[in-house]
Amino acid sequence: MAISFKQIEDKLKTEAKGLLETGKVSLVLAYGKGYDEKHPMPYVARRPSDADNIVFNEFCTHNMARYMVRYPAGTKMAVAVKAADSRAVIQLIQEEKVKREDLVLLGIPAYGMKNPKTGETIDSKTTCGLYNPVLYDVLLGEEVHGQPVVSPYDVLAQYEAMDKEARFAFWKKELDKCIRCYACRKACPMCYCDPCFIDQNKPKWGEKSPESAGNLMYHLTRFHHLAGRCIDCGECSRACPVNIPLYLFHKKVAKDCEDMFGQAAGMSVEDKPVLVNFRVDDSDKILE
Amino acid sequence: MLKKTAINKATELAAALMEKGTLIAPVKEDAGFNFREISDAKQVDLNFHNTIISPKSAFFPQTEDFVRYQTGKSILEATPVELNIKPAFLFGVRPCDVKSFEIMDIHFSGTGLVDPYWQKRREATTVFGYAFDLDKPAEAEEFYQTLGIGAADPEGSDIFMVKKDNDLLMKAITPRGEKLLTGLNIPSEASADDEKYFDDTVAAGRNFKTRSTCVDARATAKKFEDLFHNTDFWEKMSHACLSCGACTFVCPTCYCFDICDETLFSRGTRRRVWDACMFTDFTLEASGHNPRTKVYQRLRQKVCHKYSYHVRKYGVISCVGCGRCTRYCPVNIDIFSIVEEAVKA
Ligand code: SF4
Ligand code: SF4
Ligand code: SF4
Ligand code: SF4
Repeated sequence: MAISFKQIEDKLKTEAKGLLETGKVSLVLAYGKGYDEKHPMPYVARRPSDADNIVFNEFCTHNMARYMVRYPAGTKMAVAVKAADSRAVIQLIQEEKVKREDLVLLGIPAYGMKNPKTGETIDSKTTCGLYNPVLYDVLLGEEVHGQPVVSPYDVLAQYEAMDKEARFAFWKKELDKCIRCYACRKACPMCYCDPCFIDQNKPKWGEKSPESAGNLMYHLTRFHHLAGRCIDCGECSRACPVNIPLYLFHKKVAKDCEDMFGQAAGMSVEDKPVLVNFRVDDSDKILE
Repeated sequence: MLKKTAINKATELAAALMEKGTLIAPVKEDAGFNFREISDAKQVDLNFHNTIISPKSAFFPQTEDFVRYQTGKSILEATPVELNIKPAFLFGVRPCDVKSFEIMDIHFSGTGLVDPYWQKRREATTVFGYAFDLDKPAEAEEFYQTLGIGAADPEGSDIFMVKKDNDLLMKAITPRGEKLLTGLNIPSEASADDEKYFDDTVAAGRNFKTRSTCVDARATAKKFEDLFHNTDFWEKMSHACLSCGACTFVCPTCYCFDICDETLFSRGTRRRVWDACMFTDFTLEASGHNPRTKVYQRLRQKVCHKYSYHVRKYGVISCVGCGRCTRYCPVNIDIFSIVEEAVKA
């Protein structure tokens, strides 16, 4: 069964229009037209008539959960969420950045999404690889079944097999490419800090110039700030103008976290964020 | 003077240039092409459309060291970093990017306040412009032609290159280019047929379509002035914007920088590093006050600086339509669409 993007788009428009007409929400975070069909953009519908501008196709990769924290607390909003995006919403609910009752989640079951920059199909290599939203109020299509179930951590095997020196050399080479545009953190739904540690200068945590020391400081810290929080949407890596495979590091940390604490990020609103939830029977592996 | 060389002999040409100075040319990397200082002539790869980062970094590197010092020691012991500039060749620059140098010259030397780092590198560098391939349509992101820049404009280059089948035609445009080309023993003389091909390409480049709307600099600048207080308009234009630095860092005409002191143990360096008006802390004042706290204010600054303030002050738009900002924007914001929306508004 192929995904009918057109059908999802139509349902998205109808739902958005209805929600805005009844005043149930004051805005709908979805997708709109970009400069061509392959480049749709995040879009905010505020009036019922705006709903006509909503689009949905395989290039609508952006994680709309990223935008929720931009609006004042208590804003009633509807959010179009694909699988990973819904996990971001859950994680943000756990972190008390948004409230479940303020949200209407328009779930989008999908696979075969494409990276607008490279045209590559997005799968479990660069994302969590789920097909259905974990949390939603309305599902705008049929649940996906029968697609291959691949662990999002499979891609790590070849890097885990490297010895320490080779792995360090790999990351040094990758991170040396970084131009410090911060598109990665800005595209990330979980990087909502203001100011981000790397922008602080009293104390100054890391250098601003794009050289090894500062790049390592920025990235290693960011990877760890995302521990147990990254929901593997892959947005950071897609946002990166120089194609640094940031997702690999995030996946590794997520995998370790899951192994140690038996909880993946953003899977249930009942969970507490794993790193702030102390349990007596917690793994001590982290201290080893 | 017009000379030619086989494209597959570009390595020999590169090697000849490397004997005379530093060669900066397109190199293929994981994510795409970038201008890099060449250490092995074989790295030079002309099989590119355009680079990720603009060639401005040849004159205005992302990091530039000014002074080195030891913390805890007297300032008198600090040593300025010598500007050790050698003759350089910037090879394979697309016409829109060549145009950007002229715009950047306004800021780094043209107003009377001279930035020696930019200016000395400019003076020491011979620019080899390179026409876009007119057999392929322009990419969707580009719009240089609508800003009056042809796909094969030789102006601004010292030597301009046009690809003809498997050959590279090279024409001297300035006396500096003439001198260099005469002294290069690699390319052979071109025929009358080649001369015609070169001129035809330059002419065809002027009509090579990028996007359809035409931009009148003065009228657009005025329009943006009128729209300044239209918060609705700017919020609409910016609701997708992440306020990152991707668009400004890849842009050939963005020239903002920050001066930082960076120390490793007791060794310190005062340096400048690219900065961007899209960053939250760009306008953060020492008092803690920030006049641009909202994303729309920052995007408005970026667009209006290029299309309005710059026109009012210097008479030209500070954008060359290379399309990099659009291509690398993580959320597909297209500066030209904003200009079109403004004109319509
Ligand atoms: S890197 Fe850390 S401090 Fe910066 S925004 Fe992300 S989580 Fe916050
Ligand atoms: S998006 Fe890429 S280049 Fe930009 S700061 Fe992140 S890793 Fe570095
Ligand atoms: S604003 Fe965009 S299109 Fe214009 S010169 Fe800069 S990167 Fe190129
Ligand atoms: S326009 Fe795009 S690239 Fe520029 S700051 Fe906004 S999101 Fe980043």
